Amino acid sequence: MKRLELLRDEIDKCVRCGTCRSTCPATKVLGVETASPRGRVSLVDAYSRGEIGLTELYLKHLKDCTLCGACRSNCPNGVDTVAIFAAARAEAIEKKGVPLAASLVFRNLKDSGKGIMGLGLKLAGKLQGLLFKDSAAGIGLLSRFSLPLVGSGRLVPPLAATFFLDLPEVMAASGIEAKSGRPKVAFYSGCGINYLMPGLGVKSLEVIKKAGAEVSVPQGQVCCGMPAYAMGDLKAAREMALKNLEELERTDADFIATSCATCGHGLKHLMPDLLSDEPGLKARAEKVASKVRDISELLIHELGFKKGSSEGEKRIVTYHDPCHLGRAQNLREEPRDIIKISGNATLKEMKNPCLCCGLGGGLMYNNYELSMDIARIKAENIRNSGAEIVATACPGCMIQLRDGLHRFGVSAKVKHVIELL
Amino acid sequence: MLSNTIKNELKRIFGDGNVSFAKEELLCYAYDATNTPHLPDAVVFPSGPDEIALILKMANSEGFPVIPRGAGTGFSGGSIPVKGGVVLSFERMKRILEIDTDNLVAVVEPGVVTWDLQQAVEKSGLFYPPDPSSLKMSTIGGNIAECAGGPRAIKYGVTRDYVLGLEVVLPTGEIINTGVRTAKGVVGYDLTRLMVGSEGTLGVITKATLRLLPLPEETVTMLALFNDLKDAAKATAAIIRAKVVPSTLEIVDSVSMKCVEEYANVGLPKAGALLLIEVDGNSEAVRKEAEAVAGVCLDNGAIDFRTARDKNEVKDLWKARRAISASLFRAKPNKINEDIVVPRSRIPDLVEGIKDISEKYSVLIASFGHAGDGNIHVNVMYDKKDAAEAKGANDAVVEIFKLTLALGGTISGEHGVGTAKMKYLEMELGQQAIEGMKKIKAALDPKGILNPGKIFPEASKDTAPSGAFAN
Repeated sequence: MKRLELLRDEIDKCVRCGTCRSTCPATKVLGVETASPRGRVSLVDAYSRGEIGLTELYLKHLKDCTLCGACRSNCPNGVDTVAIFAAARAEAIEKKGVPLAASLVFRNLKDSGKGIMGLGLKLAGKLQGLLFKDSAAGIGLLSRFSLPLVGSGRLVPPLAATFFLDLPEVMAASGIEAKSGRPKVAFYSGCGINYLMPGLGVKSLEVIKKAGAEVSVPQGQVCCGMPAYAMGDLKAAREMALKNLEELERTDADFIATSCATCGHGLKHLMPDLLSDEPGLKARAEKVASKVRDISELLIHELGFKKGSSEGEKRIVTYHDPCHLGRAQNLREEPRDIIKISGNATLKEMKNPCLCCGLGGGLMYNNYELSMDIARIKAENIRNSGAEIVATACPGCMIQLRDGLHRFGVSAKVKHVIELL
Repeated sequence: MLSNTIKNELKRIFGDGNVSFAKEELLCYAYDATNTPHLPDAVVFPSGPDEIALILKMANSEGFPVIPRGAGTGFSGGSIPVKGGVVLSFERMKRILEIDTDNLVAVVEPGVVTWDLQQAVEKSGLFYPPDPSSLKMSTIGGNIAECAGGPRAIKYGVTRDYVLGLEVVLPTGEIINTGVRTAKGVVGYDLTRLMVGSEGTLGVITKATLRLLPLPEETVTMLALFNDLKDAAKATAAIIRAKVVPSTLEIVDSVSMKCVEEYANVGLPKAGALLLIEVDGNSEAVRKEAEAVAGVCLDNGAIDFRTARDKNEVKDLWKARRAISASLFRAKPNKINEDIVVPRSRIPDLVEGIKDISEKYSVLIASFGHAGDGNIHVNVMYDKKDAAEAKGANDAVVEIFKLTLALGGTISGEHGVGTAKMKYLEMELGQQAIEGMKKIKAALDPKGILNPGKIFPEASKDTAPSGAFAN
């Protein structure tokens, strides 16, 4: 990853035309120049020239951003805004240190849920009933009162009673011999599926098998590093990347599949980027990265998957493009193809399906109010689409969409595209 | 620098959340699309004319500049606080107050983004035609202050043709209403037209009454390719001669095509030049006009002619067209961006002349723009680190202006003078006209507090409305 001082030319490439004002979700909500990508680039520019320091206000404007990349995709001059913002965050963390709560989380996400963090989370799983109550719709937990980082009435997903990587069938699948001729797939669950949505992981394994592949789940996998990267904690992110590289190299799989858009982006792009400082590691990371596929990409392009099993009544489904899948991996048609071949859904596009859900870039943690104001736009677009189901391809987006739809009274159910199969 | 008394007064008038003196915020209100920043001393976010009246009165008594700002996407420096002072950002005054479908009128606050207004009126089958390339981010207030144009000017005119009336706070703090909300009106001087295009130097626009049209039933978008820019220019003249009035007739040269294709990736073919043409109106007329356009293009050297098949193709073409200006930096790190206009029939002469100038000064010149109304964006590309090339670029600009005026044109069709063109003002207007304009400025803004340092060159500061901020 390029450090801020190496991004001088990139910063200078911004000519302040302002095109990004019309694409940025934070600008849409806050409406002011300081919340626009052009404004943020100007601030990073001023910081890098020593005109301003690492002040609270500078950091606030830097963090009021989902790193969704819409500005980068729409920049006429091709400025890599995301690289600039990420490097600026990393610089701030390097100089000021990682916030305590985040540092505890990242320290523990470096293991695969088997260590202290795993024990802590498992205990938390048992105790969560004291702090939260089930939501009426049964889609998550409502906090009973304000907690650190969690406001009262906020919908959060419950911690799984048994984590995905601890499920007996998953532990048994830690290294399967491939039957002759069948493609070998290693499944990378990521934290969302491991801690919060193990059912989605199990479903992913079923679908991959049904599509004609052998599947294994490497037990030593750890967080993909994207949350740490977004916060600017590159040291933690790099350690995670190295652990994943070593674990995934051992699998001997033809493909490494994930059902998480963010993890896919993390493994395909962030891991080799973080490890590019060592030539030997770089080549190894690129080799592993070249095997990574989003599950929709795997099913459509690699396994030639044709049809889902259920042939029920057709439901109206709209699709939300995760930033880390559409913009970051250029996978827009594949998840829609999954909806179309599911046999029980009619795809109806919402307005601006690639608008960020508001979760990304640590915004849900840094500025929950802004995060929800962005989710409100998404929720309204989903409501206006008339869809019964909003399908997407990222556990992170699913959590945010559930919270947003619940908050703004939109009845559509949130599903991962493969849950339609 | 503002005194603490002034700062406290600003806080009292606008409220804490609507004033900032922090450098981390002022930095974001220092620039526009000319990328020539200058820090203001404060930024305030007004919510109505009364607050603006108060700040202007205070500016007169205390002697500090006030600079109105929309989205900061102008190309001439109109919203840059070149002498510091207080930026009035209209980002929080963005309500559409009324869409009157019986009288085809909209009433809006100045911070409304032009595109948002267009989308809103389209829901009622109505049409607000002005379409500057910045329309997805620029505001109505900024569009009015600069009299923004756009591709549709050939058929529909420019912003000035859609402004019926304004609520304006005069530089001395009086709130006045200009114009009408009717189709006609001749009572008194036309202060509306005086304000439109005055670049925020004569008054602060706080509300606008805009004329709307019925939305055209159908629009057909076409693309014609040519081997050479001159062929495309000739075809343009031929289309006008054929008595077709397209709603868009845009010309793009090969340098611009290459740069914008790298950005937009919409599959623009390789060619010497292209014309992007639209005709709109009722279905039958549109079909006939489209056929006529195709015939004229093919008779005049088009090597390929296509009609956009669906909305996505149209969207892609426009995305590419609107991004040309910014994407040109892919060719060279710096550019001088001019928006000259010549009578439409002289476009082939202009194109030839620019080619000669480009060769004479050895600078890359990218040309694109509104061929249909004679308004060409001439971008002289250079690298400021190369002193010889930078000088060549500046000399080329002067020569382009001379050519433009010789052909009967004007040096700015839609960007305005601001700071970017002030040194060339006299070339077009002459000293007498400039003096006349200064008298108007002095009458309305005797202390010169509103957007100082714009339009009129500093050299003549003895006769400027105020020497207070000339330094």
